[in-house]
Amino acid sequence: MKKKKNYTRTDKAAYFFLLPAAVIYLSVIVAPVCYSFFISLFKWNGIGEKQFVGLSNYINLFKGDKIFHTAIINNLIWIVLTIFVTMTIALLFAVILSKQFRGRTFFRGFFYFPCVIAPIAVAIIWRWIYNPNIGFINEFFKALGINFTQGWISDPNVSLYAVFAAALWQAIGQPMILFLAGLQAISPDVLEAATIDGANGIEQFFLIKVPLLKDTFVIVIATLIVAAMKVYDVVQGLTGGGPNNATQMLSTYMYSQVFQYNNVGYGTAVACIMVLMMMIVIIPYVSFTAKED
Amino acid sequence: MKIKKVMALTMASAMVISMALSGCGSDGGSETKESSTQGEGAKSGATEVTFWTLNTRQNAVDPIVEEFNKQNEDVHVTVSYYDTDGIKDACKVAASSKTLPNMWFNWGGSLGGFYAENGLTYDLTDYAKENKWDEKFTQTSMDLCTLDGKLSGYPTSYNVLGVYYRKDIFEENGIAVPTTFEEFEAACAKLKENGITPISTAGLNGWHTMRFVELLIEHYAGSELHDKMNTFDESYDNDAVVQALAKYQEFCEKGYFPDGFLTQDPNDTLIGMANGQCAMDIQGQWQDGKIIQEGLDMDQYGVFAFPSGETNRMSAFAEMTQFNVDNTEEELDACMRFTDYYYNEENTVKYAEYYNLPLPVVGAEMPEGQPNVPVLLETSEKNGIFTITDQAFPTEVADVLFNAQDAIANGQMTPEDGAKSIQEAIEAYNNK
Repeated sequence: MKKKKNYTRTDKAAYFFLLPAAVIYLSVIVAPVCYSFFISLFKWNGIGEKQFVGLSNYINLFKGDKIFHTAIINNLIWIVLTIFVTMTIALLFAVILSKQFRGRTFFRGFFYFPCVIAPIAVAIIWRWIYNPNIGFINEFFKALGINFTQGWISDPNVSLYAVFAAALWQAIGQPMILFLAGLQAISPDVLEAATIDGANGIEQFFLIKVPLLKDTFVIVIATLIVAAMKVYDVVQGLTGGGPNNATQMLSTYMYSQVFQYNNVGYGTAVACIMVLMMMIVIIPYVSFTAKED
Repeated sequence: MKIKKVMALTMASAMVISMALSGCGSDGGSETKESSTQGEGAKSGATEVTFWTLNTRQNAVDPIVEEFNKQNEDVHVTVSYYDTDGIKDACKVAASSKTLPNMWFNWGGSLGGFYAENGLTYDLTDYAKENKWDEKFTQTSMDLCTLDGKLSGYPTSYNVLGVYYRKDIFEENGIAVPTTFEEFEAACAKLKENGITPISTAGLNGWHTMRFVELLIEHYAGSELHDKMNTFDESYDNDAVVQALAKYQEFCEKGYFPDGFLTQDPNDTLIGMANGQCAMDIQGQWQDGKIIQEGLDMDQYGVFAFPSGETNRMSAFAEMTQFNVDNTEEELDACMRFTDYYYNEENTVKYAEYYNLPLPVVGAEMPEGQPNVPVLLETSEKNGIFTITDQAFPTEVADVLFNAQDAIANGQMTPEDGAKSIQEAIEAYNNK
């Protein structure tokens, strides 16, 4: 027999208070997403008449658009790098900065600092750092007497990784703060008990801290994947997706198609695929981790 | 505890300062938009108009707008600034959301043509007749601003591009101004041999490197075929283009361009010339103004037409102010009054280095202290001109050319495939 749900006065009040947020969410997020999908079914220059083409934009993207394929691969590489490099370094910094030492507050701020700089400013800073003629890195090698010059962002074999390094510099701060908060929430009693039981630092980290940071990992991984999928500013500012599309991302390609070539339907199809890809990764991940609880 | 508090306060202040600084830093940034309102806000009852223009002109536009707003109680102009590529994107975004300003800076050809073709710009044909613009502006500039059969902008400059060079570097290396393509190649070889990068270029966004590639195409294709290719009446997939791209590849391999030029900012090419690392840069007559702005020695800089063959034609393009088709009569009148004021004699003399002088008006005088301007314009009159490629091409075709430039420079693409890819993009565009 189905149990009758017991709605209380509090339940109704909760819906009431959720209503303004829901209205904003529906009108600012859900409606534009639905409208974007609708647009992606048309051939449209953004101004004139729309011509319905069904799923042609999607078929053309997957069938013969090499730049789109490059952009997907680049986004996937970026996600992998983000998870393994950004998250690892952020966690490492958080662990170090959670310890008691002189100057800890300064270093917390110091490593968080790049996070507050506008990504486009980061791109400009790093363009000068990477400049092969007068840039910091090659000049540094020169000062050390090492005859080594590299076109960091102009060489298609390394440009994606060079752009990632610039983004990494900025991206560490946010997950680091989240991990730090998670580490500080771990009760010292648990760690003390582990110490008494003879667990060393590494065992404490992998067997106690990491499992207790599970909720933080969910948030960090989810936000990092979303950020990796929509990475735009730093790429656009550093390379504009070049050289020869070597650093082309779905977001930069979508932008070019919609706002530079006026292929609004086609570009919006790229945007819809971006959203779909994010949902494919994020929803199972979050629901799986939530189920375990 | 106290130390901690001080430290926290210091870090917080540093963050706030860095945020503010990053905002300042974006002033000359490549993509960000800086907006500014002159004066103390709009006067009540005044017609408010918005103007989008290039940030490279901000030092002139700011005081001009401020003075105009002061002198005109019934009009208030608000100006926003963008960089070269930023303004192209911002206008496209605004066009698709129907939020274009009342007037905006634009180039001719395909860049300005988009707004005319889509009925977004005010057709000034009748206005020009009523106000006798044929007596005011040169016919060439009026023609270049006539897009899709409509006079779609107020002509503000007519630009021709030549090869700016460092006279002292040429002299020190015993190089005379090249008059043939072979002499040009020999000059590049000699410069490279002596440790100087021959040509300062920067490939980010593609258009600066394109200036050299299009001259190579002009050299190998000749004027007639080049013009036909640019109007899509002849295929780009031909021997002349292949030869041009092969020569470009050869120049890349020989190191005739700066290391890593593909992702360098095209607004910075003067740095290489100024510090003596590079000897030449393909620029228009605005470069004289830039040399003055940077406080460089004008005597060190000369200009010549690239020896592409035949008459050594030079690439050219127009600039204009376009007006929103939705302007009311009052707004259009306010825009016109402001534009006339902006381009009056007093302002153009006072802020000469921030205009691409001479103005495209009948009987315009050459700017003082900018010796290369008359040389360029007189040479172009004698030699003839062709439309610069990124204004001859729609953006999506131009981008394929830019990608081919990158790929050929990096050895990822052969010149044959480059020519083929450009033609494929043209066909795809035509079949859209």
